[in-house]
Amino acid sequence: MADDSKYAYAVARVRVLENRLLNKGQIDRMAEAPGAREALQVLGETDYGSAVGELEDVHHFEDLLAAELGRVYGEVRRFYPEPRLIEALAAKYDVHNLKVLLKAEGMGKEAGEDLLYPEVGNIPLAKLQVMFATEDFRDLPCHLREAVEEVRAGWGENPDPQLIDIVLDGALYRHIFTLIAPIPFLEEFFTHQANLINIKTFIRVQILKQDEDFLHRVLLKGGDIPGHLFHELLPEPLEALCDRLALSPYAQVVEEGLQEWQEKGRLTRLEKLADDFLLEFVRSHRHQPFGPQPLLGYLLAVENELKLIRIIMVGKLNHLPIEEIRERLRDVYV
Amino acid sequence: MFESMTGIVLALLGAALAVGLAGIGSAIGVGLVGQSASGVVSEDPDKFGQTLLLQALPGTQGIYGLLTGFLIMQRTGVVGGNLLELTMEQGWAVFMAAMPVAIVGLLSAIAQGRAAAAGVGLIAKRPEELGKAIIFAVMVETYAVLALLASILLLFGITF
Repeated sequence: MADDSKYAYAVARVRVLENRLLNKGQIDRMAEAPGAREALQVLGETDYGSAVGELEDVHHFEDLLAAELGRVYGEVRRFYPEPRLIEALAAKYDVHNLKVLLKAEGMGKEAGEDLLYPEVGNIPLAKLQVMFATEDFRDLPCHLREAVEEVRAGWGENPDPQLIDIVLDGALYRHIFTLIAPIPFLEEFFTHQANLINIKTFIRVQILKQDEDFLHRVLLKGGDIPGHLFHELLPEPLEALCDRLALSPYAQVVEEGLQEWQEKGRLTRLEKLADDFLLEFVRSHRHQPFGPQPLLGYLLAVENELKLIRIIMVGKLNHLPIEEIRERLRDVYV
Repeated sequence: MFESMTGIVLALLGAALAVGLAGIGSAIGVGLVGQSASGVVSEDPDKFGQTLLLQALPGTQGIYGLLTGFLIMQRTGVVGGNLLELTMEQGWAVFMAAMPVAIVGLLSAIAQGRAAAAGVGLIAKRPEELGKAIIFAVMVETYAVLALLASILLLFGITF
């Protein structure tokens, strides 16, 4: 039998942690609360209770979410037998920090503390800051180091923030795929994720009428939808994408997402469906008794939950009608 | 080595394998459930009793192996003190009789451990479903019991 029994402890522990996620009823009650303060009160009745109690101002709810994210990642790092899974999932926070620091450096300013994730990424923020201070990036994983050096080598008079995003996002997925190569389930998951990001990118590129050169630069290399398919579709109308992807697992995501774009001129439904697709993919594997699936599911569920809280809180603070908040809400995992 | 291999040595080898292999299986199975149970109890200490029940289940194969081993020792006179002179044929017969419980005990205990560890995950979510989690794991027990039955019938069928 395979050595997947090393996951026995972690899977069982994750099963208990899953019980503490917010359920659909709690999310709905938050969404239905008349205002931001009341929504936060609903949150205060859950496991977030003590964190909500410490919050002084409703507008600072982001602190609460960042602290929760850091707490969850810190906790699973302590007991999980397969660090690569957590590293792959947390790499996006490293890249986020790198982007913020690069942009700050490019503009010759201090990076705003509130824009950085101090405790979630794989590389401690303090270490990143030292790297920038000493201009020594040797300790970064190779793909990220190359990306940072590429961006910094291109520093001209006018640093282009978009270039930073493009180069680092490309490096992020190369980094993730080198990390997770030995774990087939993770490879499948991140391939889906890269595909969905490429589809969203392609739709945006086409809407903004950018050229082929730009498309080539922004497409991620990790997905298994071939890049030439997007290039062929670029001169055609958006509907052609639906037809070409009709037999892929993403048919529904693309079709419904584009329908909303045509009716209302926004892509929120596409974003929501793409997130739901990934969550559903992981959810369909969550009952594996041994393996990386339950933890990946749990971490995605936590990120999803924080996103839901953020959508509700931002909506409440901006006095959006309940219906409009509901439209943006994703599924819950449990 | 083979010159010294007499019937009684073969019979004792059978007993050793019955106790040893079934015991190894149980140890792996119980260990696996133990890992799962620690995962649950570290977050939710109240579940100790329930998870302990599930952990005990893969332990039975080891007992079946020991039972078979004792039976061989008793039938061949190791326990009583007057060792029987067994022919090679009798020795092989006893050895073969020990095989069902040794082999099935080893593998079924591991399989049962996995089922019980999954059951630990089940009661982490739904503590009220402990009975069902136990039933799923106990289904595996059937085949260990059948193997024990076969081993015992075979042993009593051999005339010394």
